[in-house]
Amino acid sequence: MVEAVERKGGSERNIHCSISEVMKYVICFAIVVYVAILLIFSSGSRKSFKEVEKPLEVSIDSEKMQNVGVQGLKRFYGLNAADYEGVLLYNSRFNLSAEEVLMIKVKDDDQIHQVSVRGKFVFLSVGKKADKYKEIFSNNL
Amino acid sequence: MLFSSLTFLMVFLPCTLALYYIVPQRFRNVIMLIASLIFYAWGEPIYIVLMMLSIAFNYVCGINLGEKEDNSAAKKKSLIFAIVVNLLILGFFKYYGFLVDTLNSILPVNIPYRELPLPIGISFYTFQAVSYVIDVYRKNAKVQKNILNFALYICMFPQLIAGPIVRYVDIEIQLRKRTVSLYKFGSGVKIFIIGLAKKVILANCVGEIFNEIAGYQMGSFSVLTAWVGCIAYALQIYFDFSGYSDMAVGLGRMFGFEFRKNFDYPYVSRSITEFWRRWHISLSTWFKEYVYIPLGGNRFGKAKQIENILIVWMLTGMWHGAAWNFVVWGLYYGIILVLEKFVWGEKIQRQPSWIQHMYALVCILIGWVFFFSPSIGYAFDYLGTMFGIGASAFLDRQGVFFILSNYLLFAVALLGSSSAGDNILKTMSMKIRNRKIRMVVISSAHLILLFVTIAYLVTESFNPFLYFRF
Repeated sequence: MVEAVERKGGSERNIHCSISEVMKYVICFAIVVYVAILLIFSSGSRKSFKEVEKPLEVSIDSEKMQNVGVQGLKRFYGLNAADYEGVLLYNSRFNLSAEEVLMIKVKDDDQIHQVSVRGKFVFLSVGKKADKYKEIFSNNL
Repeated sequence: MLFSSLTFLMVFLPCTLALYYIVPQRFRNVIMLIASLIFYAWGEPIYIVLMMLSIAFNYVCGINLGEKEDNSAAKKKSLIFAIVVNLLILGFFKYYGFLVDTLNSILPVNIPYRELPLPIGISFYTFQAVSYVIDVYRKNAKVQKNILNFALYICMFPQLIAGPIVRYVDIEIQLRKRTVSLYKFGSGVKIFIIGLAKKVILANCVGEIFNEIAGYQMGSFSVLTAWVGCIAYALQIYFDFSGYSDMAVGLGRMFGFEFRKNFDYPYVSRSITEFWRRWHISLSTWFKEYVYIPLGGNRFGKAKQIENILIVWMLTGMWHGAAWNFVVWGLYYGIILVLEKFVWGEKIQRQPSWIQHMYALVCILIGWVFFFSPSIGYAFDYLGTMFGIGASAFLDRQGVFFILSNYLLFAVALLGSSSAGDNILKTMSMKIRNRKIRMVVISSAHLILLFVTIAYLVTESFNPFLYFRF
């Protein structure tokens, strides 16, 4: 128990302030800070798939990578593009290269299984420029 | 991590059980708590922080309430603060996007917002936390001074991510002292196996029928197909959720806990009032104890009672999801409950049993259409199809095909959703007079069921529970 004396209007008042009283406000503040951090670093976006897709597609090296589209998504991942709100899949034109960029916007949270998740956007990138593609993806949310 | 995953069945559960029973009794709560945190962090490595903050906050609020026994005004303020913060956390993660979307569609504004995924289990553990602070305030429960025991209450893995919602008063004593026995453990294993089979075999199989029909264009299927789809969904959600609840109860028993049952064959109901005494019992109990009764219940006249019922059911709908179709679903049931209580309840009860049953089933199935529909417009279109408006025909090949190729599945599912299935199995087992042989046969049947279920799991991919999204 913390005791303090408050002077107000010429009279004194003892304020009893228990540790639990203080702690509940401290934890409340911690929750607010935590939510703020979540919003900054791992929130998604209400932007449409097309709005995020355009700047990313422009930055992809089309000499080395190709858009394999709906068929590629089915072939390499066993996924149906129609099940998602938007899909972008580029992989390497060369068999020996593992370079890849996959971006999916899911329709609901149950569809999120893996990798970099920001809200309803799921992003996977493999290759030398993976960090660059991821940065572009994050910056355009 | 899911109960219906090989990682859980082959690794997590055996290891947790082994550790739990090896350590001295005084460390069992710690083992269970660590296992629960690992269980949650496996699927939600970020949101485990939120759950731990919620635990810390509610633990401290409980102590704070206990310190204000002599000052009822201050105690009430502390309770209100605790409830408001809990509901704000739940409201932010669950309803913030829905609120902004609604404002954007009604007003001439375009408020942008950042979207966060819904933390798994937040509806369940927040309601448990609120139940604790209210029970402490009402002096129905003592303040829990042991933070490990309190954390275990909130995040115990059997019921953490999809219920049942365990009221603190129901588990207070068990946190300190509970019995374990071979019989209890064995009965827990049996209930768990049945729950697992309900989910993996029945729910997933009928779910495939529903998913197929739900993918059809509106207007391209018949009345029959629409009803088949709706019945398939009703069976899917029942086996999915009751299966999960059975697994939670079974797991609880394996660790010495007794949870109340969450489902009591709801599809045998003969009224909607009865249905809600049998479906998701823990949720309706929570709303009755912590919302309906504090609002006044039936103590202030008919008009107030009707208002209270509608408020509770609107909130029940909203608890299930941040979308208007859930609000409509909740209000739909609220209105029917009011009508049963004040208009036609007694008339229904005077009807033959089969008419009462049909009335209840039709009401329930119509309710599920609002539940599974992505929008209210879709719900009305689908309902229209069920009653001939906008349907391609009364009967079609698809509907007949679904019935003929799945009649056995439907028969088993319908039997399994009523006590009839249970009675048939009990009667068959009692034909074996010798008790020991009977126990061996029953246990072997459960083991075979477990192997078949695991075989299904091995061939299936990701299979979440429908109620995870709440």
